Amino acid sequence: MLRGAYCIWERDLKVFSRNLLPELITVVAFPITFFLAFALGLQNYILDIEGVPYAIFVVPGLISMTAAMGAFDDGAWGLWFHRVVQGTISEYRCNPITVYDIILGKIISGFTIACLKGSAIGIILFLLVDFPFRTPFLLSYSLFIFLGSMIFSCIGSICGTVIDKPENLGRLEAVVIWPLIFLAGLFFPLSVYPQKLLPYIKLVPTTALFDGARTALLAGKIDIGYLMILFFCAGLSFISAVIIFEKKMHQ
Amino acid sequence: MNGIICLENIRKQYGNLVAVEDISFELEPGSIFGLLGPNGAGKTTLLKILTTLLRPTSGNAYIFNYDIAREGLKIRRLIGVVFQENNLDRYLTARENLVLHAKMHRMAKRDYQKKISELLTLTGLSNRQDEYPDKFSGGMQRRLAVARALVHSPKLLFLDEPTTGLDPQAKRVVWDYLVSLKGQTTIFLTTHNMEEAEELCDRIIIMDHGRALIDGPSSKLKTIIGDSCLYEIEFIDKEEYYLHRLKELDYIERYRTVNGRVEIVFKNPESIKSLLSILDFRDIKKLGIKEPSLEDVFLYLTGKEIREC
Repeated sequence: MLRGAYCIWERDLKVFSRNLLPELITVVAFPITFFLAFALGLQNYILDIEGVPYAIFVVPGLISMTAAMGAFDDGAWGLWFHRVVQGTISEYRCNPITVYDIILGKIISGFTIACLKGSAIGIILFLLVDFPFRTPFLLSYSLFIFLGSMIFSCIGSICGTVIDKPENLGRLEAVVIWPLIFLAGLFFPLSVYPQKLLPYIKLVPTTALFDGARTALLAGKIDIGYLMILFFCAGLSFISAVIIFEKKMHQ
Repeated sequence: MNGIICLENIRKQYGNLVAVEDISFELEPGSIFGLLGPNGAGKTTLLKILTTLLRPTSGNAYIFNYDIAREGLKIRRLIGVVFQENNLDRYLTARENLVLHAKMHRMAKRDYQKKISELLTLTGLSNRQDEYPDKFSGGMQRRLAVARALVHSPKLLFLDEPTTGLDPQAKRVVWDYLVSLKGQTTIFLTTHNMEEAEELCDRIIIMDHGRALIDGPSSKLKTIIGDSCLYEIEFIDKEEYYLHRLKELDYIERYRTVNGRVEIVFKNPESIKSLLSILDFRDIKKLGIKEPSLEDVFLYLTGKEIREC
C-alpha cells in the first residue's frame, strides 16, 4: 500500500524543493512580522512572563504556529487544488494504488513540509533572540510539533476533501483555525484566563499544542495530559481524514 | 465471459437522478469501441464505473474477468485512462508526469525511461519533455495525457471525449494516433462527436438519458432507418409551401431542414411515389436518396438532434 503514498510524498517534496526559496521567504515573513510587532515592539512594556523574557516566551508559539499552519495549508489547499483544479487526484486513482495511499501520501507530505517550515523559522528565531538552547528540551518540543503538524495536516486534508469552494476554505481558516491558535496562549500565558474557564481551555487541542510545546522547550517538562490530548486528536483526525476521503472518492 | 469488458445490468443513481440505466454489453479485444451520445447521456458515468472510480448502484461489471467492485487494483494495472478534463500535473514537466505514472505502476527505472522516451518521440513531444504542460497547446496536452496513459502498456485504453476542445488539425493528429494503436490496445472511447465515432469506431453504442439505444458497427446502425427511406430535396422555389405540405402527410416519419436542404424520412420506401405526385419539378433543384449519418440515426431513435441535447 505504501508505494503509492511514497510516490505522492516524493512528488510533493520535489515540487516544494523547486520553490524552496520563495516558499521559505513567505513562511518566514509572517511569523517574523509577529515577532517584530509583539516580541520586540512590546518588550519594553512586557519585560517578562512568569520569569521568561517576553521575546523568548513567544518564540515556541511562533514556531508551532508556522508548523501548524504550514501543515493545514498544505493539506487543505494542496488537496483541494489537486482534487478540484488540477484533477490529479482522479489521475492518481486510475493507477494501481488505493485511496488510502493518496490520503496517506498527502498527509505525510503536509506533515513533512510543516516540519521543514517550522525548522526554518525556528533557526531564524533562535538566532534572533539568542535562545537558551538545550538539546533534550528541543527533542521534547519536537514531539509536540510532530503531533501538532500531524493533526493540522489531517484537519487540512479533511477540509480539502469536503470543501469545494475556495472562499469557504479561507473562511474556515479565518473563523475557526486562527482563533483556535491565538486563543491557545500564543502571545500570553494561560493564567490570564479565569480559573473557572481554564480546565476547559486546557482541553482544546491547540492549547495542548502551544502551551505544551512552550513548556517543553522552555522548562523541559512534558505535560502528559497535553500529550495524551494530542495523541488522541492525531489518531482521531487521521482516521477521520482517511474515512472521509475514501467516502468522498466513491460518491 | 469471453469479452474483455462485460457489463450486466449496470445502473447508477444519484438521488432521484438515474445516470445509467440497465446497461449490458460485452466487448471483444482489439477493437475501437465508441459510446456515443449527447452531454449528460451517462457516458462519463459509465466510463468512471468501468475504470473503478465510481461504484454502480446495482449490476455487475467485469474487466478482464476481474470484478470492478472487488478487484479494482488488478483492473487498474491493465487499463489506461485519459479524462476529458486536462488533469496533467502542471508543476511537473512533461517527462516527470510520465515518470510519476510509471512509478505508481511499479515499473523498473530502466524500463520506464526507455518506454517514456519512445512515447515522447511517438507523440512528437520529445523536444519539449522538460517543459511544463501549461505551456503546451491543447492538442499537445491531450497527446501527453494519452502518452501518460500508455506508459505501462495497458491492454485496454479508456478515453473520455478525447478531442473535445481541439482544433481540427489537433483532432486529426489525435485520431491518427489512436488508429495507430489499434490492434495492440483495445480502445474504449466516449464521444458526442458523430464524425469521430464514425471515423474511429468499429462498434458504437448510442446512449441517451442513461440508456443504450442501439449497438453495432456504424454501417449496421444506419440500416435502422431502412433502405431508401431517407431522401434529400433542395428546392429552387416555394420551400415554405412544401414544408407546410409535408406536415400534413401521414406517410412521412419526420423531416428537417439542414443547410438549405430538406431531409425527409418516410415510414416505408414506397411512400416516395406519393410525395412525387404532389411535387412540381420546376420547383426542385435536386432530389435524391441520402446516405444516413449517425446524426440521422440518433434523430431517428430519439426524435431530436444530438446538438439539441
